[in-house]
Amino acid sequence: MMKTFHLTVARVGENLFDGEALSASLPGSEGVFEVLAGHEAFVSLLAEGEMRLRAADGETFHFEIPAGGIAEVSGNQATILL
Amino acid sequence: MALKDIKTKIQATERTHKVTRAMEAVSAVKMRKTQGVALAGRPYARAALQVLARLSGSADLARHPLTAVRDIRHVALVILTSDKGLAGALNSGVIAAAAEAALPYATDAVTVYAYGRKGEEYFARRGYRVARAFENKKDAVEISVMEELSTELGRAFAGGTYDEVLVAYSNFKSTFEQVPTIRRLLPLTLPGITRLIEDIVPEKGKWSDLRAIESVPAYSIEPDGGEVLATLAPRLTAISLYHLLLEAKASEHSARMVAMKNASDKSKEVAHDLTRLFNKIRQAAITREVSEIVGGREALAI
Repeated sequence: MMKTFHLTVARVGENLFDGEALSASLPGSEGVFEVLAGHEAFVSLLAEGEMRLRAADGETFHFEIPAGGIAEVSGNQATILL
Repeated sequence: MALKDIKTKIQATERTHKVTRAMEAVSAVKMRKTQGVALAGRPYARAALQVLARLSGSADLARHPLTAVRDIRHVALVILTSDKGLAGALNSGVIAAAAEAALPYATDAVTVYAYGRKGEEYFARRGYRVARAFENKKDAVEISVMEELSTELGRAFAGGTYDEVLVAYSNFKSTFEQVPTIRRLLPLTLPGITRLIEDIVPEKGKWSDLRAIESVPAYSIEPDGGEVLATLAPRLTAISLYHLLLEAKASEHSARMVAMKNASDKSKEVAHDLTRLFNKIRQAAITREVSEIVGGREALAI
């Protein structure tokens, strides 16, 4: 069983995802990176592109990132603001 | 009062009742919509503020131009009111709070940015410089409008034109409770951000658990702290401002609905009392006429 972490993906006025996730692949400004459970405390700007995430139940989601954003990871939880 | 006058007055009151009831219904729909938007926006605003609060441990924050704390000589005052009245004490409360905030400074040291006509009229009449005035007509406000305003404010703040940017608005607590509030938009400071986060935690429901803001010392930051803050700080200013506007909107429609409900109830009561009075006077006239007839008849019978 893979470990999960709490992931919140939000846009102004709407919540895209909020729950436990297995992994998230994000287009960072320095290149694509992947967040898994237990990732180090980390803040990164996001570039335009596409993010993919896998929820705890194995379901996958795709979100377009039209104008960049910011990702913050700390203490087994991640917040992604588009 | 003559019978005819009372009748006219009853009809007028009933017409008023119809109007206020219609306005109450309209406000109720708008209230639900704006409350929904305001509540939906809270998690985002909170999350964004928390990221900044966590980052504030780093030295980069102190160096960012939007966080510079200076001696206050020039103030920009953003006032979020409605365009229309009939909303109870909502606008007067916000305006009174704004006027109090402006009190310590000379009139020419305060620049007003008015969103909504009520605030603009008040401060323009008192000789304040109104730099920008927006109409507050539409309920669906694009964040781009607030981004534009916050960019302007941010540039002026960073350039030293203003030493502080304050926002006067009405904080939405519930349908029956809105609190006129002054908030400091710039400079961005940790206590200010923390207070804003605390205020936008709903009383119950899924977002009500407040995760403590612990500053994580060992963040690795990409590309680097300065650049992250350069993106985050202006964005956050815009989001805060937008969020305050959503709260103000929800407050406006809630206050108006309650005010219109009170007006409807009162007009019903007045119509009821007037009908009573009408019947009483009519009955008195009938009784008088009957007794006159009876008296005349008795006088003739002798």
